Amino acid sequence: MVSMSLDSYEDVVGQVVIAQLRKLAHQLAGARVVHVNSTREGGGVAEILSWLVPLMNDLGLDTSWEVIDGHAEYFHTTKSFHNGLQGSPAALTDRMIKVYEDTVSANAERLRPKLSEADFVIIHDPQPAFLIKCCPERKGRWVWRCHIDVSRPNHRIWRYLKDLVSLYDASIYSMPHFARRLDHPQLIIAPSIDPLSDKNCELPQGYIDATLDRFGIDRRLPLLTQISRFDRFKDPLGVIRAFDILSGSLDAQLVLAGGGADDDPEGQAVLNEVQETARGREDIFILDLPPDAHRTINALQRASTVVIQKSLQEGFGLTVTEAMWKSKPVIGGNVGGIRLQVHNHHTGFLVDTPEGAALRLRELLRQPGKAGRMGRTAREFVTVNFLLTRHLREYLTLMLGLRHGLESRLLAG
Amino acid sequence: MVWKTEKVNMPFEVKDCTLITRMGGVQAAVSLRELREGVARCPLECLFHHFCETQLRPTFDDPEFSNDFAVWAAKHVRDRILAERLGVINPYEFDNLEQLREVVLEVVDDRLSEVGHHQFAPAGEDFRFMRAVTVVFDVGIQLRTPDDLVTRLPQFSTSSIYYHFVEARRRTETRLDDFSNWLAGFGAGTEPLLDALHGIDFYYLTLRELKDALLEAVCQPFMETAHG
Repeated sequence: MVSMSLDSYEDVVGQVVIAQLRKLAHQLAGARVVHVNSTREGGGVAEILSWLVPLMNDLGLDTSWEVIDGHAEYFHTTKSFHNGLQGSPAALTDRMIKVYEDTVSANAERLRPKLSEADFVIIHDPQPAFLIKCCPERKGRWVWRCHIDVSRPNHRIWRYLKDLVSLYDASIYSMPHFARRLDHPQLIIAPSIDPLSDKNCELPQGYIDATLDRFGIDRRLPLLTQISRFDRFKDPLGVIRAFDILSGSLDAQLVLAGGGADDDPEGQAVLNEVQETARGREDIFILDLPPDAHRTINALQRASTVVIQKSLQEGFGLTVTEAMWKSKPVIGGNVGGIRLQVHNHHTGFLVDTPEGAALRLRELLRQPGKAGRMGRTAREFVTVNFLLTRHLREYLTLMLGLRHGLESRLLAG
Repeated sequence: MVWKTEKVNMPFEVKDCTLITRMGGVQAAVSLRELREGVARCPLECLFHHFCETQLRPTFDDPEFSNDFAVWAAKHVRDRILAERLGVINPYEFDNLEQLREVVLEVVDDRLSEVGHHQFAPAGEDFRFMRAVTVVFDVGIQLRTPDDLVTRLPQFSTSSIYYHFVEARRRTETRLDDFSNWLAGFGAGTEPLLDALHGIDFYYLTLRELKDALLEAVCQPFMETAHG
């Protein structure tokens, strides 16, 4: 967990932004806030919480982060929820429901005193969503924070989860198009990145070079990189296909780097498939990185000529934000939150096929001036829209709003 | 530097605002017909959000149109005629938001009668009706004289500029900005400054551009007074 104070960000975002946050937070001083998710490491949610929680504390809110303790069968079930909510075929049996509810109920025994007394409870994604049923004596406001696109879910899974989610006082989505209609207020908060974290901070060139050397990557050749979990929705095989189309005409290298998360049991199978496809290729590097390899990822992104995120489904796509922050043009799948970040022909390109990705890769490799311009625009865009200070401000606004029934306009202090 | 004003005035309390958007509770629109139905039924806060609070939302580049309905018509329905007709509507010209709603409906109805009911946005590009929860808070700064406005204005956040210069027109009886209302209390000495403020066509500016325009408007008469 980071230990920086909000003041550390003043050089990046300016004094006015920091002062604004402190004024807002003053109205919430001492409020007890509990975040709950299902993994401490790996994936975008854990990354967000690792800075959000300490900064909320720095702002005077009494904030904690709890993690659901689960076993393999529970995580298989919640992965099925995850896939089903994003529209994939997914099973939901009575046994799965029992495993899910029993696991969350067992966690509730440990968490109930804290959750029941909190002023604000923020439950991230479906894994801990059942907690609300285990805490009938609730003092504060409970919010379900959905980080994935649930606009076209598997209906059996959604019917089950909808009954749980409807119990919350409000729900949050990353984009309006991710939301399902519910009877409670549905709010929109886009995710963000921490510009000072190991994943995003400036790095010495020597460190970047050493990272490339460590993996045997040729520093003289252009580097194309996709950083993401080994997950079918990230389409790693589609990226290799795009690289294959391209590699006849241009000398370049491809890196597919990522790792697993504790709550993703499918990762190993996908990694095996990707490794098999790339076997014997000296220009493709498949890097299975540990969850704390943040500086390595940072170095790979900074060393890249172009960053790819060719997802077929995507919640938001924080790796896109990270690349843009490092002034890299991004070739992204035309889905989900990537569309919010990659503005076609301005900060990168949106593509629907491996052929589209190959076409744009060639364009950016052949025109380094264009790639540079796109990268600079991308950095500016992230500075205004997707840094943690904006994210924090919206959480504070939400909590103040919840205290007053989410009226259209309210005066605080 | 002391302004040549005839009166003393109440201090100006600097405020700021922040918003979070929420779904408007109206069915998303895929076609012009559905857009019309949504505009007819949506809470007035939705109209305010899509016409006025767009300025508070960070944007990637200067949007071609200032309201979300026009942007959707141009970008997703690809009907530039409708987009231009919607884009020229200035929400601050109306006494209330019901009047604004009537005008938007007229424009969409006219277009529907011209093109029939065949205008659709592609899948996934439907119009989502949104509204906002806005929190207004005290910045802890008081301005006592027009000089204070000159010295403090560079430190205003763009959302504070929005609150005092744009949003004020919706909540004040005069339908003027907060700066003008306050400066008027100082009497004739502030007339050049008031004229400069009234000359700013704020609706078509981004908040950053608006802040620059305000700085120019506020500093110019100050410099003239200082040297005059």
